[in-house]
Amino acid sequence: MVAPIYIIAVALGIAFLLAFLKSRGSKVAEFIMELTIAFMAFISLQWLIGFLSGTVTEKTVYTAGFEPPFSINLVMGKMEAFFASLVNVAGLLGGVYLRKRLKEQGANAVIVYLLLFMGLNAIIMTRDIFNLFVFLEISSVAIVGLILLQRDVNAIAAGFKYLMAIGVISGLMLIGIIFVYQFTGSLYLNDIIGANLTTFKGGIVAVFLVLIAVVLELKPFPANGWALDVYQSANPGLAALISAAFASALIFVLHKLMPIAGSDWQIIFATIGAVTFVGSNLLGIKQSSARRLLGYSSVGQMGLLVMITGLTQFLNDKLTLIAYGILISHYLAKAGLFWLAGIIENDNIRNWSVLRKKPFLLVIFGTFVFALIGFPPFPSFFAKWELIMQLAANAGYTWVVLILLGSFLEGVYLFRWLGYAIKLDNLDLPDFKITWEKIIPVAIVSVGLYILGYFATPIAGGAGNLNFIAIAFVIVIFLVDFLPAKLKNAIAIAAIALYGYTFMPGLYETDGLRFFFSIIFIIGGILTLIPGFAYSGKRRGFYPAVLLMYAGLGELLTAETMLQFFFAWEIMTIGSYILIIRGKHSITHGYSYMLFSVGGAYLLLAGFGIAFASSGMQNLEALANITTLAGWASALIAIGFMTKTATLGLHIWLPGAHAEAESDVSPMVSAILLKAGVFGLVLLLIHLGADKAMEHPLVYVLGWLGALTALIGNLSAVFQEDAKRLLAYSSIGQLGYILFAFAIMTHVGWLAGFTYTINHFLYKALLFLIIGGIVLRLKTHNMYEMGGLIKRMPYSFIAVLVGIIALAGMPPLSGFAGKWLFYNAGIERGWYFQGAIVFFAGIIAFLYLYRLIHAIFLGQLKDKHRTVQEISPWFLIPAYILIIGIMVFSAMPELVLKPVGQFTAQYFPNETLQWQADGTAIGQLGYWNNTQIMIVVMGAFALILLWLLMLNRNAKKVEQFNMVYASERPERPETTHIAYNMFAHYNKALGFISTPRITGVWNWISEGVHALADQVRRIYTGNGQAYILHVLAYIVIVYLLTTGGF
Amino acid sequence: MDILTRVLFTLLGLFIILNWGLLMTAIMRKLTAKVGRRVGIRWYQPWINLIKLYGKRNSISHGVMYQLGPVFRLLGGVGLVLFMPLIFGSEYFTNFSFTGDLVLIIYIKFFGMLGMALGAGEGGHPYSAVGVSRGLAQVTTVEVPFTLAVIALAVQYNTISIHEIVAAQQGGILNWTIFTNPVASAAALLSMLGIFMHSPFDLHTAPNEIPIGPPTEYHSAYLGLLRTNAAILHVIEAILFMNLFFGGANNWIELIIKTFFIYFFSVFVGVVSPRFRIDQSARWFLKVPLLLGIIAIILIL
Repeated sequence: MVAPIYIIAVALGIAFLLAFLKSRGSKVAEFIMELTIAFMAFISLQWLIGFLSGTVTEKTVYTAGFEPPFSINLVMGKMEAFFASLVNVAGLLGGVYLRKRLKEQGANAVIVYLLLFMGLNAIIMTRDIFNLFVFLEISSVAIVGLILLQRDVNAIAAGFKYLMAIGVISGLMLIGIIFVYQFTGSLYLNDIIGANLTTFKGGIVAVFLVLIAVVLELKPFPANGWALDVYQSANPGLAALISAAFASALIFVLHKLMPIAGSDWQIIFATIGAVTFVGSNLLGIKQSSARRLLGYSSVGQMGLLVMITGLTQFLNDKLTLIAYGILISHYLAKAGLFWLAGIIENDNIRNWSVLRKKPFLLVIFGTFVFALIGFPPFPSFFAKWELIMQLAANAGYTWVVLILLGSFLEGVYLFRWLGYAIKLDNLDLPDFKITWEKIIPVAIVSVGLYILGYFATPIAGGAGNLNFIAIAFVIVIFLVDFLPAKLKNAIAIAAIALYGYTFMPGLYETDGLRFFFSIIFIIGGILTLIPGFAYSGKRRGFYPAVLLMYAGLGELLTAETMLQFFFAWEIMTIGSYILIIRGKHSITHGYSYMLFSVGGAYLLLAGFGIAFASSGMQNLEALANITTLAGWASALIAIGFMTKTATLGLHIWLPGAHAEAESDVSPMVSAILLKAGVFGLVLLLIHLGADKAMEHPLVYVLGWLGALTALIGNLSAVFQEDAKRLLAYSSIGQLGYILFAFAIMTHVGWLAGFTYTINHFLYKALLFLIIGGIVLRLKTHNMYEMGGLIKRMPYSFIAVLVGIIALAGMPPLSGFAGKWLFYNAGIERGWYFQGAIVFFAGIIAFLYLYRLIHAIFLGQLKDKHRTVQEISPWFLIPAYILIIGIMVFSAMPELVLKPVGQFTAQYFPNETLQWQADGTAIGQLGYWNNTQIMIVVMGAFALILLWLLMLNRNAKKVEQFNMVYASERPERPETTHIAYNMFAHYNKALGFISTPRITGVWNWISEGVHALADQVRRIYTGNGQAYILHVLAYIVIVYLLTTGGF
Repeated sequence: MDILTRVLFTLLGLFIILNWGLLMTAIMRKLTAKVGRRVGIRWYQPWINLIKLYGKRNSISHGVMYQLGPVFRLLGGVGLVLFMPLIFGSEYFTNFSFTGDLVLIIYIKFFGMLGMALGAGEGGHPYSAVGVSRGLAQVTTVEVPFTLAVIALAVQYNTISIHEIVAAQQGGILNWTIFTNPVASAAALLSMLGIFMHSPFDLHTAPNEIPIGPPTEYHSAYLGLLRTNAAILHVIEAILFMNLFFGGANNWIELIIKTFFIYFFSVFVGVVSPRFRIDQSARWFLKVPLLLGIIAIILIL
């Protein structure tokens, strides 16, 4: 084991040595510096590994052989080893990244660089407060030196402001240290801690000055204008080091010094952190400069870490996971992002679409963004999860709200940025070069995120046997993304089938509910992948996203703990986000989908937190044992799930997201993905105690929401010109029915809910497949540009016909089962008004269904479509399989409803629906036998048809336009085809109901927040003096708040 | 009762209903003519029309859906007959009502409507599509007060079986729903004006103008089917209201008398009312009728 003192000794020694080597050229200097930092990293990592494996114990180095306070002493403990490793690894990678620049700038720059890291190592290890001050100065000055070495006027201005701020801050710190020495007679940290300085007024000032200086070094909002300018203008390679290495070291310093103040002051730090986290992320949303945006994000993340430092008392044994998880995710991701910014050399976030020219960089960028926000499988996900759980367990709900708010705001700008990178046009942007020394550090940190995420998993409470196999497979698919799409499609189908095989057999016996949803997720997954064979080329990025989404959906079903559930939920969200945003015009829709998903996920997180706090359980059963704040918990969780089911108020993302998605993605996200929200809601309702929950206020709210969602969704669908948008609004309405039915909370109500769920899966997948196929053929979504396609696409027509009859709920097809059950359930429950609204919505559905089939297939065929072909068989095959499903379900609904009724009965033992031997269902109010209805209807149909055929056997087929047209002749098909604004009259009568007011409200909120951010950020005037004033004002205000007066 | 006998009796019932419907059509036409100071048709004109239409030797086809449209349409009317108990207490005229209840009746009605709309659509005539869009738009709001009334009834009688609703109204005229639940009945009867689609709610076919509305492109046997259906539909919908609100019928005479008055209520309103635009008619049902429906529900809460 190499003694820790060598870290500093070697750095110092080599730095001196390099000064002599100056004349020998910077090439050697740079190489020697790399070797030195590598050696420093080796020492610290060696210690870290030693501590982790338990083979070493804490080591104290006494300089000059005296014990403190007579000499400076350095400690190498577990935390020191960790932080020193972080700093040195960053130094090593950063050195590689900056290699060329350091060489250019010569040996002086190399020496400064080396001194920076020597200083950082020293401030981590030292236990002497003055020594700490000195090395902090060395590091800060080294940073300024490196900034100033850049020949750029902005960088120099920023460096100068930085220098001014550091001057003020270190002055204060020095005064504080003098006072501390005055009161304690020692500079040894342990002595100072023992002196209880905060018990008397002078001591308070001393401690305050020392600590506020450290806090100010961490760039708290709003006294951080000087730091933001540095992040923006410094060389990104350097900014990466400031954000990752310097900030990490400072966080450790804060942690080290905190005990001086005692636990009473912790809350102050938590507040400072919270203000910074929320404030900084708020301002971030107005940024368009990538590096400044990263600066805001860095500051925000540091705020979060300061907050965690202040909240240690709440975090129990999970502190390590939480603090290290967030720190290391920030460290890796932020360094990586700054480095990326340096590689593409384009500071406007709108221009980051240039990343797509090197697709693997886009993936790395996505990795960093998801890691920063705290998505699985990255360490920050587990850390944030535990953070919320532990805070909730200690009733720190205010902190939970602040953390989630700040995280959400961070998501707002990071996902906007990611969306730009994925979608914006990049043809005009110049390509950029990548060099190996810049790519290697970025690649290493991104791989590091995955590896650390994997190892962080078991530490989190309730992670259990979290299944990484599916995710590993996604990575494999990503690595073979160069294969042709058709092959990958086959592999994907096989993978989903295999995945289903691992948990579906036997599931029916043990858990009917999950079996039910597994059919939708897995069988549906296979069916909706079949159209993928119609695509040629490689479809880069498509299959990893699809498989990620289905992996998430599958894991939702196998999740046993809340963490596993949330993990799966987030995995699914990532996959679906990528799928949705792939659509040609999906940039805003993918973005709003993601924002609603992130917001919803945070509400879920908060709800799970309350559940954990209240029940002390990590299993999903915790939801059934919420005693405190039960109303809040269930409401939060319900709203969280309703962001996915697109319930009224939270639905505005859906129409665009579903309509603009690719043709084979729409059925996935509509027919299948929405059911994840339904599954969540069903789970929640089950855990509310099913039959007991009938009087729960939540279910009344859900019932009304469901009914109104159905009405607004369906009515909005009526007025769409875009076929896929029409179907998307229809989904909103249908999900409203489903929500309504489950909220009824009776046996029949749930049967109706499950019937609607399976029906919606069947017909919405069918309709989206066919319409998607047509869109691929005609290259338009607008129904008024179609027409008369029954002649060209008869098989599509039949499929759509079956789909709309089922959707309309007309007997004898399966939709009627849902209507009948719903009628019985609604009346039985006494929900007359809500029921009437849902019924009204159901009839409104006829309008849009007619519009859909008429405008596309009937009416006048357009000239340019006279030779158009039937849609691809790859779309027709799954559509016709779904038709078979509809027919079977229609002919023998009891095949499905009986088993569903059986597993529903375990939640609602009071079964009110009985099945007779001949298949007649007897409810409390009515009765119904679909098999017989089908026979009677089909029989009558056949007879009438035969009669007509007999009468009209000689009917002459006529050409288009051969019709009764008074004394006029028809115009062109475009003017004769009734499709555009087809329900203008209805719009006049009732259109006001579907005016998009909710969109307006969300826009208003969004604009308000942006305007607020825009106003607040004006405090950053760019003037160095103003920044110093901020710092001083900040000190005074915090002092007043801390001590309650002078 | 074996299935064949049931089918035969159903067909018999259908035959009676058809002829009664044709006769009512004739009376209606005659009546409206007299109000308009015209002579009007001969009372047997509807039969002659049907025979003529079915006997036409020339016909054209715009395509498969065009041909299926009238089939669906007639199926809607016939379906109502199939699933409707006609005569209370008569095993012979309950038809196939044992397979489904009131909900089935409500939804089977739409079958014909949608089928017709599809057929008319393939005809390609813009007036057809215009008529369909108007008709569908009006139907949506017509059904709202009617649904509320049906819910009120279902709660009142604790059943949605038509047979049991009729059974509950036996034993004297005061047991009829119209007397036991006048508010719900009023809501439903106002809705009924929209269901029968006479003036002021007849814009979708606009019968007095040049051909406009869904049947524009239909002729010969197609139109025959549509006319047949119209006759059946008038009667069977009146039977539905008779069963729900007027105590059902114990024999055919009673059925004929009751359906006559129910149907002619809408005709009488029609001859003295000018026509609404669709946006007006769609809203009309959401005013007084909806209010009555809501009151009906409040009363049962």
